[in-house]
Amino acid sequence: MSSREPHADCPVSVDAAPYVLGALEDAELQRYREHLSACTSCRAEVAELQSVADELPASAPPVLASAALRERILATVRAEAALLSAAGDEADRPPRQVSRWRTRRFSLLGAGAGLAGAVAVLVAILIGVGSGTSESTKVTRGIVEANAPGARASLRQSDGRAELVVSRMPQPALGKIYEVWLSRGKGDAQPTDALFSVTSGGSGSVAVPHSLRGVKEVMVTSEPLGGSLHPTSQPVIRVALSA
Amino acid sequence: MTRLRRPSADSKDKLRKLADEELMQLVVGNDADAFEIVLERHADVAFSLAYRICGRRAVAEDVVQEAFLALWRSGARYDPRRGSVRTWALGIVHNRAVDALRRSGVHERRRVSDQGVEESLEAPERTDAQAIDNAASHEIRGALGELPQEQRRVIELAYFGGFTHIEIASMLDTPVGTVKGRMRLGLQKLRGHLEGWEALSA
Repeated sequence: MSSREPHADCPVSVDAAPYVLGALEDAELQRYREHLSACTSCRAEVAELQSVADELPASAPPVLASAALRERILATVRAEAALLSAAGDEADRPPRQVSRWRTRRFSLLGAGAGLAGAVAVLVAILIGVGSGTSESTKVTRGIVEANAPGARASLRQSDGRAELVVSRMPQPALGKIYEVWLSRGKGDAQPTDALFSVTSGGSGSVAVPHSLRGVKEVMVTSEPLGGSLHPTSQPVIRVALSA
Repeated sequence: MTRLRRPSADSKDKLRKLADEELMQLVVGNDADAFEIVLERHADVAFSLAYRICGRRAVAEDVVQEAFLALWRSGARYDPRRGSVRTWALGIVHNRAVDALRRSGVHERRRVSDQGVEESLEAPERTDAQAIDNAASHEIRGALGELPQEQRRVIELAYFGGFTHIEIASMLDTPVGTVKGRMRLGLQKLRGHLEGWEALSA
């Protein structure tokens, strides 16, 4: 029964190979998983073959992931980390706050795959902040100055949190990333940790990790990867805020 | 508590000394710097896998982006008892890449999986490829290359082409049982090869 040879005693032992390769039909997959929970010999067979299937990714011809891709991923991750730690700072009780955030965050997973999902999660986090006293979300349309037909930008504010959402934006040039700035009308624009890029379809979103109190305008410029402390180019997006 | 704009080189070096599994514990605590190291270690193999499956750079980039953001957001689901961080991450990439491929329609899938791998890569990318070619990649590719053609084909059509065994059977005009048998034989031979290599390098 627990031999390592073909498990002739089990009629579905032949499904182990297509299973680890992801080649079972959806309906079969369900049944096979149920079978696995009951059949030790098939579990052993799957474990054996899975260890081989796990090596297959390395057989893909090696291609480097672009720096822009890495920076795009990191920009989103940093913005979310800042947002989550800001939630902890505010109350000065990080542990409790963080755990509440995490629960909320994870309960939202699986809500959607892909970028739509990512945006939904971010928006949901933003809206979830004040829970009990949920105010409505205020959306301010921005002006896109980049040479990008059809590009749109809007700032969503809810319970003191803000998120910039863009669509049909061109991707930043190679080695560049979009950075969010806050302008209070006088003095230099304030840099933020909010760096972002967009997907090949031009959509993206970023949490604005500061209070917008007194802010007249939220701007976006294209900056070298890693961001700048002073803008090095003209704004590509401007969102004027009414007091 | 103000967050540093950029982590110091010093703290990065400390993180680099940690194993993936330790880094994941930090990632669960929202540590973006720890995540950066995980990304640094696995982004290339993840992108290579996604590109091999999807055959298009833009699609592969979106797949990798989605997959790593999922990893960041659901790090708590990682269970070290069920395998390495790398295997887990590549599993997410594989699933999403196959989903993207299936959405793109059968014609495209056939093109990507049937074609010789080298021809599907454009020249500049092949240059990249040489830069990160490594021993692990050589081993498994060498082992695949030694498989009988019909075994290698069903494995690649399934794993990189995203076809089910039933689709493969009808595509090759071969009984379903034969297709499953070839998959199994092929995987077992690969296992033999890889174990041989492990024994040699141990």
